[in-house]
Amino acid sequence: MKATIIFLLLAQVSWAGPFQQRGLFDFMLEDEASGIGPEEHAPVDSDLEPLGPVCPFRCQCHLRVVQCSDLGLEKVPKDLPPDTTLLDLQNNKITEIKDGDFKNLKNLHTLILVNNKINKISPGAFTPLLKLERLYLSKNLLKELPEKMPKTLQELRAHENEITKVRKAVFNGLNQMIVVELGTNPLKSSGIENGAFQGMKKLSYIRIADTNITTIPQGLPPSLTELHLEGNKITKVDSSSLKGLNNLAKLGLSFNSISAVDNGTLANTPHLRELHLDNNKLIKVPGGLAEHKYIQVRPHHEICEEYLGSECPYRDVRRQEGKLCLQIFFAERCF
Amino acid sequence: MKECVLLALLALCSAKPLFRPSYVTLKNMMLKDMEDEVDGDPDDDNSLFPTREPINPFFPFDLFPTCPFGCQCYSRVVHCSDLGLSSVPSNIPFDTQMVDLQNNKIKEIKENDFKGLTSLYALILNNNKLTKIHPKAFLTTKKLRRLYLSHNQLSEIPFNLPKSLAELRIHDNKVKKIQKETFKGMTTLHVLEMSANPLDNNGIEPGAFEGVTVFHIRIAEAKLTSIPKDLPSTLLELHLDYNKISTVELEDFKRYKELQRLGLGNNRITDIENGSLANIPRVREIHLENNKLKKIPPGLQELKYLQIIFLHSNSITKVGVNDFCPTVPKMKKSLYSAISLSNNPVRYWEVQPAAFRCVVSRMSVQLGNFRK
Repeated sequence: MKATIIFLLLAQVSWAGPFQQRGLFDFMLEDEASGIGPEEHAPVDSDLEPLGPVCPFRCQCHLRVVQCSDLGLEKVPKDLPPDTTLLDLQNNKITEIKDGDFKNLKNLHTLILVNNKINKISPGAFTPLLKLERLYLSKNLLKELPEKMPKTLQELRAHENEITKVRKAVFNGLNQMIVVELGTNPLKSSGIENGAFQGMKKLSYIRIADTNITTIPQGLPPSLTELHLEGNKITKVDSSSLKGLNNLAKLGLSFNSISAVDNGTLANTPHLRELHLDNNKLIKVPGGLAEHKYIQVRPHHEICEEYLGSECPYRDVRRQEGKLCLQIFFAERCF
Repeated sequence: MKECVLLALLALCSAKPLFRPSYVTLKNMMLKDMEDEVDGDPDDDNSLFPTREPINPFFPFDLFPTCPFGCQCYSRVVHCSDLGLSSVPSNIPFDTQMVDLQNNKIKEIKENDFKGLTSLYALILNNNKLTKIHPKAFLTTKKLRRLYLSHNQLSEIPFNLPKSLAELRIHDNKVKKIQKETFKGMTTLHVLEMSANPLDNNGIEPGAFEGVTVFHIRIAEAKLTSIPKDLPSTLLELHLDYNKISTVELEDFKRYKELQRLGLGNNRITDIENGSLANIPRVREIHLENNKLKKIPPGLQELKYLQIIFLHSNSITKVGVNDFCPTVPKMKKSLYSAISLSNNPVRYWEVQPAAFRCVVSRMSVQLGNFRK
């Protein structure tokens, strides 16, 4: 045990050595035509080279990108270069993110922790990351989203974890957030706190696909342009849940158990442009389609059959002067 | 200049405009387009399903910038990870520079999947079920620099990869062979990560790396029994940890004169032949932990720039006073910052302190106890 500790200390010291990777991606700074290759190996004449940023062994560090994927790491490497902007730790065996793991990484804007075994993230772990914009946590063992995520965050991916709860508090104040992806988690509707996403003023994209939710989450922010809820257990599209989503352009509800779409749903989403309702239990076309200005619909085939006897409505609609945006796509078997 | 832009993108974007145009822009655009007289162009048929007759839409279909459903498209990055896709989406915008398709169920890359993506710079296909890549799939992606194919089922490195490639990651696949033609003409391949493949020494065909500039190669967790001799001579880093290498022979490093970092940990090395390390005079870091070495590798004292040497968990019984440091102190250009010797059957109380006269500080040496 003692030996390990000493060794760990030593390892730290060792990273402090002056080795600096060179030349890996110099080409990216160069013009296409200019010389590509490693920098000059400057001969070292002094006894002691100046200490500089180092790269953890086996990782590649270049231009502030630290690439440490697929290394079998069990913890976050120590002494990462402080100017790192992107840290890729995917496909390792990291089980825990501790306070201090990312200390000094003030410039980090992207942190990729996909495909590890993370089941715990200390509440203060992300605090030093003052510029973090993207946090990728997919394919881990998290039961809850981390607390105290940086306010600068724009994109959060936590696909394929063991998340059962989404609390409003974790998103509060994340006013820069644009993308939230929480698919393939054992989430139930009751696990999503009402208005959980409402605090995010710029949120544009939510995906909660392949979970166990039975309703559309309540209190979605009006900034939303895309909502993907495919592969859930939703039984009904409740018009109130989409109320105020003035900006919603794409709505994915395929592979649910929807048997009814409330009248007025489409009126609540006036700028919807693409609606996917295939693979549900609908027996009629959602009301309000013909009045809707922008929508393109992909109904499931049972709906198509309703149209089969008559003329193709999409042609009809397009013939109407002044009415521009209704286009309906049919599943192939409709024709 | 252009490269800088690419770089910014590649770094998964520090660039601000993460998402598509704001709602207002979008709406204005839409409304504007609606007001305009729009001539339908039959070639623009972008419909999801085949139609019987050409559509002449009132307005161009991509009123909104096209983006495959469920993906996010911004700043010429198309982000389609974790969508359960079984094939590459067909409507990737032509000016796309980066496509992220990781963690889907794609089995095959077909001939036209990336056709026309002439600006494509990075393609991420990690964690799919790829078994096949069509030999013409990359015919038009002439600017592709980074290709990530890790965690798939590929049994060979695809043929006809773009010559522009700078980084290829094909970790954890089923590659048994590197064929002679594989990297032909790829003068700027700088990083090759192909660990966790069932590759043995015979699998690397002689000449496979001829004319290829690679700085960093990692072939760990494979079936190598010796150090491959035909890797590029430009190597700065060579990582061969977790293989079955049993000896290091005199000629092994002859080609790799530029080598700065060498990873040979977790092999079965019993012996390092005298003189073999003299071929890599610039080396700064050597990892030989978890092997079966009986003595300190000969020639360390001549490596002027060596700063880190890991020898822990071996069978080393003796440390001589000149094993690490040259007899003429000035010979050493950079001092050791780490020497690890723990978990070796060394009677460390017999080691003379002078053996470590060329280290940065006492803390740089770790002896520790040997436990059976």
